Amino acid sequence: MNKIILTHNGQIIYNQRPLASSPLPYLNYQVELEDSYTLRSYFQMFEHYPVLGDTHEFLPGVREQYRSCPDQGCSWEDVEYLEFGKTVEMIGFPSEPRLEIYNALRGVRGKESCELKNILLEGFLDIPVKLGNLKHIVFGDKVDVFQFETVFTLFEIIDGITWELSFQSSSNACNVRR
Amino acid sequence: MFNKILFATTASPASDDAAHVAFDLAKKYEAEMKVFHAFGLPSRGFSSIVKDVRTGEEAMNDTDYANWVLEEMKTTYEKQSENVKKLEFATTAGVAHTEILRTARKDDVDLIVMGAHTRQEDVGATRYRSIVGSTMQKVAKGAKCPVLIVSRPCTTCFWYFSNVVFCTDFSKAADSAFKFAFKVANFIGCKLYMFHSLDMSALASGKVMSQEEIEEKIAEAKKKIEKRYVSQMGDFDNYEIEVLEGIPYVEIVKYSRKVNGDLIIMAHHTREVDPEKALLGSTVEQVVLRASCPVASVNRPDKVDEAE
Repeated sequence: MNKIILTHNGQIIYNQRPLASSPLPYLNYQVELEDSYTLRSYFQMFEHYPVLGDTHEFLPGVREQYRSCPDQGCSWEDVEYLEFGKTVEMIGFPSEPRLEIYNALRGVRGKESCELKNILLEGFLDIPVKLGNLKHIVFGDKVDVFQFETVFTLFEIIDGITWELSFQSSSNACNVRR
Repeated sequence: MFNKILFATTASPASDDAAHVAFDLAKKYEAEMKVFHAFGLPSRGFSSIVKDVRTGEEAMNDTDYANWVLEEMKTTYEKQSENVKKLEFATTAGVAHTEILRTARKDDVDLIVMGAHTRQEDVGATRYRSIVGSTMQKVAKGAKCPVLIVSRPCTTCFWYFSNVVFCTDFSKAADSAFKFAFKVANFIGCKLYMFHSLDMSALASGKVMSQEEIEEKIAEAKKKIEKRYVSQMGDFDNYEIEVLEGIPYVEIVKYSRKVNGDLIIMAHHTREVDPEKALLGSTVEQVVLRASCPVASVNRPDKVDEAE
């Protein structure tokens, strides 16, 4: 599978060179993240390649949030790193079985997951992002959860992270009034 | 405004945010409150086995277990209970949404308060499925009274709400939602935002509209809001009207965030569709999951007309 590298400063590298043309033909390429990749790098990618900003309906909103964040120091002590993972789950038994496949971004500290939705975006922009495994759950049985190495495409990364961030907001107004 | 409130709890931390709002409401309106938990789902048909809410493991459904759950609930909400004049704790075994709806009907409650999820683990799965098939969805669809769904911490309380967002698609159910929204805004004395989204997702599969046509539709919708809702508001002038084109749930979430909405009020299935089909992709579910404030689902006029 063709591979691209997403860099810390938001560039997309293919064949050891930053993309100079439209990134759209590379949406299905396998992605590797630079070690220092953070969520800020993710947003910087859209500054380099504006056309990618049209790939998700919530992107304009979350990018607006990003622009209002400080330029540095956006981290949260409860979150060590962010992990982007994939889940394949067989559900439905004994009724009609079905298979669901989805990507999700979660905060990790030690071995524990934490919810991102109640943390302001400025709380985790500078936290490292890592690619996780594929989790295979069979009929909701936690005993039968298998983990495999997998690959993620550029489209999955954009769609999955923005999808996650669309749930992420905090009731600022309430806090202010209180 | 509310005389009887049913707080449907999972008796787990997943309901903490909803509990905060429910107890606040009961205190403010000096309402009777029932804290209700339907524990577990009998495995297949009749069974004495239930699923423990904390551990998710099987437990024997007997008097001891029921009493233990009741005691747990009382202990969990001990501090918040002090401010509620008339409070009752109740549990039962069964299918959660059926029991909640049955209790709401039997007790003739004015409002059901509940969280969006049963359990907080495996967040990705819950979101991916848009809580399809969950208790919340079925209660919101079937309840005769408004259902207030609280999916994240809300540090305010009901009488502090200053921006109520009412979303409509001009359906019959939305009329009931409007009555509730107006009643709330009028009662609290806060601002009412009336919002409609031109559903471009549905239109995209058919004729593609030109910009002029979109603007024409927007103007039409604004007039419709004036005629259908503003005409019922008497002297109340603390409102704003907005119509935007797009995917309804996206636009609702974005608009609510923009105006700092404290409470979103809408019908569960806003279009006149087969209720069974409304289960999937319902706008309100997407809004519940993504909005930063509680969402009230109102489908029927019954309790909205009565509530004073």
